[in-house]
Amino acid sequence: MSKLGRHRATTEQQTDIDMVPVMNMFLVLIPFLLMSVSFFHIKAINTSVPMLAQSKAAGHEQIREKLTAIVEIEPTGFHVSAISDSVGAEELDKWDRRIVKEDKQEYPLNKLVAELNKMKARYPASDTLIIIPDGSVIYDTIIQAMDVARYYRNDSLFPNVVLSGKVG
Amino acid sequence: MGLSTKTRHSKHFVPPKLQITSMMDMFTIILIFLLFSFSNKPETMSLQKDLKLPESTANLDYKENINLLLSQTSLELEGKVIGTVQNGRIIGLDPQNLKTSTLYERLRSTRESAGDLPGDDSTKPHILFLCDKRLPFKTINSVVKAAAMAGYPNFQFGVLKR
Repeated sequence: MSKLGRHRATTEQQTDIDMVPVMNMFLVLIPFLLMSVSFFHIKAINTSVPMLAQSKAAGHEQIREKLTAIVEIEPTGFHVSAISDSVGAEELDKWDRRIVKEDKQEYPLNKLVAELNKMKARYPASDTLIIIPDGSVIYDTIIQAMDVARYYRNDSLFPNVVLSGKVG
Repeated sequence: MGLSTKTRHSKHFVPPKLQITSMMDMFTIILIFLLFSFSNKPETMSLQKDLKLPESTANLDYKENINLLLSQTSLELEGKVIGTVQNGRIIGLDPQNLKTSTLYERLRSTRESAGDLPGDDSTKPHILFLCDKRLPFKTINSVVKAAAMAGYPNFQFGVLKR
C-alpha cells in the first residue's frame, strides 16, 4: 500500500452515528403527544338569540327587498314562513307553508332546503333565518336544520341564524 | 466436516447490527403529524364521556370564549358545575325567573368584571355552548335565555365535524 493509501485508511474510518438517544427521545415524545391528541374535531356554528334593539333609520339608501325566513320546527314537521319590512303582506303569505313529516322519525330536510332555496332565489339579499323549535324538539334536529339552512352545495342560503323560543 | 465448519463460524461470529433507519423514518413522520395536528387547534378542552355533541358540516373554528356545557346530567360554566339536570329540567334554573339563577348571576358578574357592558360589541360571539344532542329545546331554551339576559346574546354552538 502506498503512503497516501495508508493515510486514507487511518483517517476515513466508517463511523456509525449513535441513534439510540434520538430513538429514546422519540419514544418519550410520541406517547406523550398521542395521549394529549384529540381525535374529535370540534367546530362551531355562530348563532344568536333575538334582542330588543333600536331600529336603524334607512336614510336615502335604496334598500334591496329581502326577507327574514322563519322555520318553526314542530313535532309533525316544519312550518316555513317569512317576515319583511320591504315586502307586502300578500307576497309574504305566499311563502307560508307546512312541510309535514312523511316518516315519523325523520324530518324532511330536503324539502326544507328546496323551500329555502326558492326563497333565496327570489330574494337574493336575504341572509337571516329565525329557527323556532318546539320544546320537545331535540338539539340534534335543530343543528341539522341549521346546517341545511345555512349553506346549500357551498352556496350560502341564510348564514345568519337566530334561535328563538316560541312566544305565547 | 460439518462440526469443524460450525466451530469456525462460532469463532468469527459478528453480532448483527440493528437497522433502525426505517424505524427512525416512521417515528419522524408520526412526530411531524402529531405536531401539525396540534398546531391548528385553538385550545384543548376536556369533555364529559357521556356528552354527545351533534354532527355538523360547519367548518368554523371556535374561539376562546366562555365555555358553557349542558349535558344530560349537569350544567357547567367554565368547568364548574352550577346546576344538575333531572328529567329535562335544570335544578336551580327556573324558566319563569331566570334572573335568580346561578348561571345568570355568574355571567352577569363576568361581564361586569370584564368591563364589557351589554350593548357594546354585540356582534362578537361570547359563549361557546356545548350541548348534548339528545336534549330537548325546552331544556336548552332556559340556558340560552338566561345567558342572553345576562348580556351574552351571541353563541357559538360546538359541534363535531362530520
